[in-house]
Amino acid sequence: MTTTSRAHWWISLLLLIVNGTWAAVYLGRRESLTVVRRPLDRVNVLRVAYTPVISLDPHRRIFPYPAGNYLTLSLWEPLVECDSATGQPQPAAAESWSWSTDHRVLTLKLRADARWSNGDPVTAHDFVRAWLRLLSGPIDPAYALFQLKNAEAYNSGKRTDPAAVGVRAIDDLTLQVELDEPRVTLLAELADPLLVPLHQTTDKVLGSSDYSHHPSQVVTNGPFRLVEMNADGFRLEASPYYRDRAKVRLAGVQFIKTENQSTGALLVAAGKADLLSPLNYAHDLPHLTDRSVEVDSELVLGVVAAFFNVTRGPLGDVRVRQALALALDRKNMLTAMDQERLVPAWSWVPDVPGRKGLAIFIEDASEARRLLAAAGYPGGRGFPILRMALPLWMKGNSYPLACADRWFQELGIKVYVAYEAPMPLGERIKSGDYDVMYGQIIATVPDAADLLSTFTMAPQYSETKWHDDETIRLLAAANRKTGAERLVLVEQAERRAMAAVPAVPVMFERRHILRAAEVQGWYPDPVARQALKRLWFEPAPTMGSSPEMAPRL
Amino acid sequence: MSATAGNTSAPWWRNRWIWLLIWLAGTAALLAGLSWNAWPWLGGTPGATFRETRLNEWPLEILWWLLAPLILLVQKSLTRIDRYWWWSVILHGAAAAAITGLFVAVQAIRVLLINQLPMSFLPVIVHDLRWSEGWNYTPALLYLALILALYAVNFYREWRAGQKLTNQLQVANAQLETRLVRASLDALKMQLHPHFLFNTLNSITSLIRNQRTREAEDVVAGLGQLLRRSLDHRQEAMETLGHEMEFLRHYFEIESIRFQDRLKVELDIAPKCLGALVPSLILQPLAENAMKHGISKDPNARLLRISAERDGSRLILTVYNDGPLLPKDDAALSSGIGVQNTSMRLQMLYGDEARLRLRDQPPSGVRAEIIIPFQTNRVT
Repeated sequence: MTTTSRAHWWISLLLLIVNGTWAAVYLGRRESLTVVRRPLDRVNVLRVAYTPVISLDPHRRIFPYPAGNYLTLSLWEPLVECDSATGQPQPAAAESWSWSTDHRVLTLKLRADARWSNGDPVTAHDFVRAWLRLLSGPIDPAYALFQLKNAEAYNSGKRTDPAAVGVRAIDDLTLQVELDEPRVTLLAELADPLLVPLHQTTDKVLGSSDYSHHPSQVVTNGPFRLVEMNADGFRLEASPYYRDRAKVRLAGVQFIKTENQSTGALLVAAGKADLLSPLNYAHDLPHLTDRSVEVDSELVLGVVAAFFNVTRGPLGDVRVRQALALALDRKNMLTAMDQERLVPAWSWVPDVPGRKGLAIFIEDASEARRLLAAAGYPGGRGFPILRMALPLWMKGNSYPLACADRWFQELGIKVYVAYEAPMPLGERIKSGDYDVMYGQIIATVPDAADLLSTFTMAPQYSETKWHDDETIRLLAAANRKTGAERLVLVEQAERRAMAAVPAVPVMFERRHILRAAEVQGWYPDPVARQALKRLWFEPAPTMGSSPEMAPRL
Repeated sequence: MSATAGNTSAPWWRNRWIWLLIWLAGTAALLAGLSWNAWPWLGGTPGATFRETRLNEWPLEILWWLLAPLILLVQKSLTRIDRYWWWSVILHGAAAAAITGLFVAVQAIRVLLINQLPMSFLPVIVHDLRWSEGWNYTPALLYLALILALYAVNFYREWRAGQKLTNQLQVANAQLETRLVRASLDALKMQLHPHFLFNTLNSITSLIRNQRTREAEDVVAGLGQLLRRSLDHRQEAMETLGHEMEFLRHYFEIESIRFQDRLKVELDIAPKCLGALVPSLILQPLAENAMKHGISKDPNARLLRISAERDGSRLILTVYNDGPLLPKDDAALSSGIGVQNTSMRLQMLYGDEARLRLRDQPPSGVRAEIIIPFQTNRVT
């Protein structure tokens, strides 16, 4: 070490200071932190933290994220709303409806007092315009209307005349929907946020690049209207023209974008937000401040499953698929942390309003081995390696790997788990070049048959390529019936599909919602379409007060 | 300013101050650009958010830019304590930890600013980032890779500098050796001059004693010319054979006066050899020896013949006299100053490529032969 240069001593000192500061930050106080005071202009405003990218345009939906539903249903009002407890449709923009005798034509009467946020009356033409716009777009969201007459043909371009599509305005307040096949769940499906009306200016406004600078140009018919939007989220205020404005107790809603769920939870704890949905990880629960928060929970109407491509080699044999289904060990797949949120799936449909889930699958590894041997693959000998196609974002998800491990351990079947980018994965799915897929199906209607409808899809849309006329017949029959008679048919369809095992259910998901305790009126909804207009604060939050003076909630 | 910076011949990219200037200019431009971009947010424009600023989008890139000179400084400073390598390793490890901490802290501050949270939440966010994979160790790995690369570049530079220095030393050594040889030659020449001078002065003395004043004057005049020429060319080690013969011509003019009509000088020089380079005054000592030990010892001897011929790549110079044969005592012969000096000069100048031989030429006479490489280019 030279005696002439002291630079290394200075460097040592600098590093000591930097690392010391860093250690001090890391070891800093993380409890009893100050709750941030509510700003003056956010009094009685519900602040919702959200993480995924959501769009203002109701037709640009990639996935039915709760925050996306909340935003759309706060700004726009669909024809009906479903009762979260019973799943039954309730009047919203439509005040009444009637079916034709063959259950192919639904006629809805709109409210005469419904108004857009600029005062214009809401008419049936606004729904027709919106639905035709939806059908003119990509197939994924347009699929929500494929039950309408000629809708699929219109979407694919085979039919170009919009008048041929089964939706028309009889007059300003009468909307008529015509179906290809009878479908008793259609009315509940109309509660989908995709099917809200659009003002005659909306298409043009949402198509322009600078509408974010002129939020008042976005005309909506819901309980709130847009007053601000930027990269940090959206700000809504109560619409003075909303038909039921007297019952709306919130002054507004603010959607706050956060980097991740953990930060969202932090915002709730810090007093910067009042609601976060979903909250997937238990360790994210904040106990940092003295703000009182609650965790609500609702069972997601969906299923996480492994889908078998039944056109591929041994997977065409039902005994092989049954063996794969029976070899799983669902309970052991879930870690202690996940057990608070994830539920082993013994059937395809979880508990839904008015119907308990079935217990179809009894896991039995020895029976699985017997079935595989009977199919000609004792101990997995001679069985080809299965290709499990997964999207890149599922890397790190342990459940597909747990399935693959189990199949190898119990049955000797090897699985090549291949992660791919969206484009090549889409091409692979389209061409059917895979053996197994792993993913989640989310229902858009609080009805058991909605999840089963995945088995009625045309093979080109189906992940399993499985087709069974009897299952389709049973579900079609169920769509003509109501009540107990319908439930029997749905159960028969589910049991039949699960006997053939084109896909094996792995688990159901329980959605956690972090909520400030002063937010009242929250209710569970299996399809995450809580109407924020029903919420209120109690006690009413104060603002501008010192943290010490803020109410302990 | 460093020695490098002060060296005007060094290329500009070796000047650290220029790089510092570029960095400062870049930082100024970066800050100006970032301020311009963040101005709506800083100015509180409605709708403007920190999330949309480049400050939020490029925090890691900006941090790398700001840290770059510090990293170079740390690396350079720690290189000086290479003898204590463990100390360097510890400090670089601490620096990698500090860099990781800085990047995590920047990420955490970014989250604070985006969500407008008070600083008291910084420890919480730092911990949260750990769970949400915000603790990225890539900066530490990048830092260590950068340090290793800098060490490798330094090592290569030092190796190159060592090579260059070695080459320079070799050249300087060779130049020094040449100068030493030249100094030795000059010293030898300085021995020749007195030797010839004493002989000539003795001759002049003898001429004056014998009342041969006119001849003595001619000898003195010739000697003056010889000395002037000798002094004029003192620093040059090599001469053309033509010049050397011109010198000898003056010498023989002096000697012919000394020996009166008895001396007969024959020159047999091939014209193509007149341009050949020979060591300065290489023939004079041999001619003097021939006069001293040959012609002057035998009253019948009178012939002194000098010849030069080219044999391929060699030049053969001979000095013959028809005097008595060589004495049996070789030691006495080889220890003569003239022969010794000539032999030593040839060895210094040509090494093993040159040769000096003295041999009898029966029935009478002695032949001195010099064989050297045939060279025509002047070497200084």
